[in-house]
Amino acid sequence: MSTLIAVLFDGLSYGMLLFLLSVGLSVTLGLMNFTNLAHGAFAMLGGYVTYALVELAGWPFLATLPFAFIVTAIIAAGFEVVLFRRIYKSGELNQVLLTIGVVFASYAVAAFFFGTVHHSVELPGYLKGFVEIGALKLPSYRIFLVVVALLITTVLVGVLEYTRFGAMVRAAVDNGKVASGLGLNISVIFALTFALGSGLAGLGGALAINILFIDPNFGFHVLVPVLIVVSIGGLGSIWGSFVAAAALGIFDVVGKFLFPEVGAFLIYLFMVVILFFRPNGLFARR
Amino acid sequence: MAEPLLEFRDVRAGYGDSVVLDGVSFSVAEGAGMALLGRNGVGKSTLIQTIMGFTQFLSGTIVWRGREIQTVKPHLRARLGIGWVPQERDIFRSLTVEENLVVVARSGAWDVARVYDLFPRLKERRENKGNQLSGGEQQMLAIGRTLMTNPTMLLLDEPLEGLAPIIVEELGESIRKMVREAGMTLMLVEQHAEVALEMTDSAIILERGRIVHEAPSQELVNDQATLDRYIGLNISA
Ligand SMILES: Nc1ncnc2c1ncn2[C@@H]1O[C@H](COP(=O)(O)OP(=O)(O)OP(=O)(O)O)[C@@H](O)[C@H]1O
Ligand SMILES: [Mg+2]
Repeated sequence: MSTLIAVLFDGLSYGMLLFLLSVGLSVTLGLMNFTNLAHGAFAMLGGYVTYALVELAGWPFLATLPFAFIVTAIIAAGFEVVLFRRIYKSGELNQVLLTIGVVFASYAVAAFFFGTVHHSVELPGYLKGFVEIGALKLPSYRIFLVVVALLITTVLVGVLEYTRFGAMVRAAVDNGKVASGLGLNISVIFALTFALGSGLAGLGGALAINILFIDPNFGFHVLVPVLIVVSIGGLGSIWGSFVAAAALGIFDVVGKFLFPEVGAFLIYLFMVVILFFRPNGLFARR
Repeated sequence: MAEPLLEFRDVRAGYGDSVVLDGVSFSVAEGAGMALLGRNGVGKSTLIQTIMGFTQFLSGTIVWRGREIQTVKPHLRARLGIGWVPQERDIFRSLTVEENLVVVARSGAWDVARVYDLFPRLKERRENKGNQLSGGEQQMLAIGRTLMTNPTMLLLDEPLEGLAPIIVEELGESIRKMVREAGMTLMLVEQHAEVALEMTDSAIILERGRIVHEAPSQELVNDQATLDRYIGLNISA
C-alpha cells in the first residue's frame, strides 16, 4: 500500500514538473495562437542557468531558481521582439519551421558552452533526503516540486484572473483590434505574456535537472511530453494543463511500475484515448 | 476661427486593393457634434476606422489638434483622446462587465462609478461576463468602456442599430445626457437620421466613399428632399 502511494506521489511530482514545463506553451499557443516549438529550448536555457550558477559559480540551488526564470524570460522576450512577432500572422508552417530552427540552434549553442554530456547539480542537504510519514517515505525533492508547482499555479491563476494585467491579456486575446483601438499596447502585452510563459519553462528546466538531467538535447526531449500535456489539457487553459500534466505524470510512472515492458508507450495510448473522445482536449478554451 | 480638433484633408483609404474613401475632407471643432449619414455600405464605418488607423491609408492628411496623425499607431491615437465605439460592440467576452470597464481605464473625469451612474443596468450586471449581456446592455457597455478611456472625442458607430424601440429610447436619452453634461466632441454614425441630427450641430452625408452633402443639422432636418435622395427609407426612425 505505501509502495503504491509512493509511486503515485512520484508520478504526481513528475506531473507537476511537466506542468511547469508546459503551462507557458499552453498560454502562447492557446491565447496568442503561436506555435512555439522553441519552448523546450527556453526550458533548457533555464536549466543551464541553474547548472552554471550552482556548479560553476557556487551559488546555492534555491537562489538560482529566480534567475533561471528571469534570465529565460528576458531572453525569450528578446526572441519575441526580434523574431517571433513577425510571424504571428504568417501561418503555422512558418512558425513551426522558424521555432524548430531555434531548437537546433540551441543544441549547437548548448553543446558549445557545456559539452554534449549529461549534467546535474548538487542539491542542498534538505532537498536530498526523504520525509517519512508513518510507513511512507517520500523524497524531499519531489515534495518540493509539488509545493513549487502548486504555488506557481496559484500565482498564475491569480495574475491572469484577478489583476489588471491579466484582464489586459484576456482582452487582447478576445479582440486584439478593439483592445488596441481602446489604447492597449497589445505588442507589449503579448511580449510580456510570452516572457512570463517562457520564464516558467526556464524555471521548469531548472527544477528538471535533477530528475531528467540536462544535455543539449533537452529542447527536443521535453517537447514530446509538453505537447502531449498541452493537447490533452486544451489550449489556453491553465487548469487543463494542470490536470493533464498531473494525470500524464501519474499514468506514466504508475504504468512503468505496473507494466515495465510496455510502460514507455502508455502515455501515447493515454493521449490517443483522450483525444479520441475530446479532440480539443479536456478544457478547451475555444 | 479656432483650430479644428479633427480634420480630414482629401483622405483616400480602403482595404487591401479596394479604395473605399475617395477624397474625403471635413473638420470637427472641439465640443461640436457631427452626424455622419448615408446608406448601408457607403463607407461610414470605414471612415471611423480610418480615424483610428485600422484601414489601408492611401493618401491625404488626418490632423488632430494641429498634428498629422495618419502614421500614428491605433493605440496611440486612442491615447491622444480619440474614443472609438465599434459598430459590432465587440465586448471582451471573457471579461466581466466591470473588467471590461477597468481594463482600458485612463485617469480623468470618467470612472466606473460615473459610468454606472449613466448606465445603471451595467451596475446590476457588473459580475456578468461580456457574453451574457443583451444587445442593449452590450451597447451600453461598449460606450461605457470607451468613456473609461476619457476621450476628448467620441466616435459612435450606429449605437442604436438592431435594438428594441424601448431600449433605443433609453439609450438615446443616456447618450444625450452624456453629450450635454460632458460637452464631448462627437461623431455620430446613424441610420436614424432624425435622432442623429437632433443630437449634433452639423452633418455630412456619404455616398460611395465621397461626401455628397454637408449642412448644419438644423437645416438638414428640414431638407426632406436631400434626406430622401441620399438616405431614402431610413429616415423613418
Ligand atoms: N474589412 C473589410 N475588408 C474589405 N472590405 C470591406 C471591409 N469592411 C468594409 N468593406 C467594404 O467597404 C465598403 C464600405 O463599408 P462600411 O462598413 O464602411 O459601410 P457602412 O457605411 O459603415 O455600412 P453600414 O451602414 O452597413 O454599417 C463596403 O463595400 C464594404 O463591403
Ligand atoms: Mg458601418
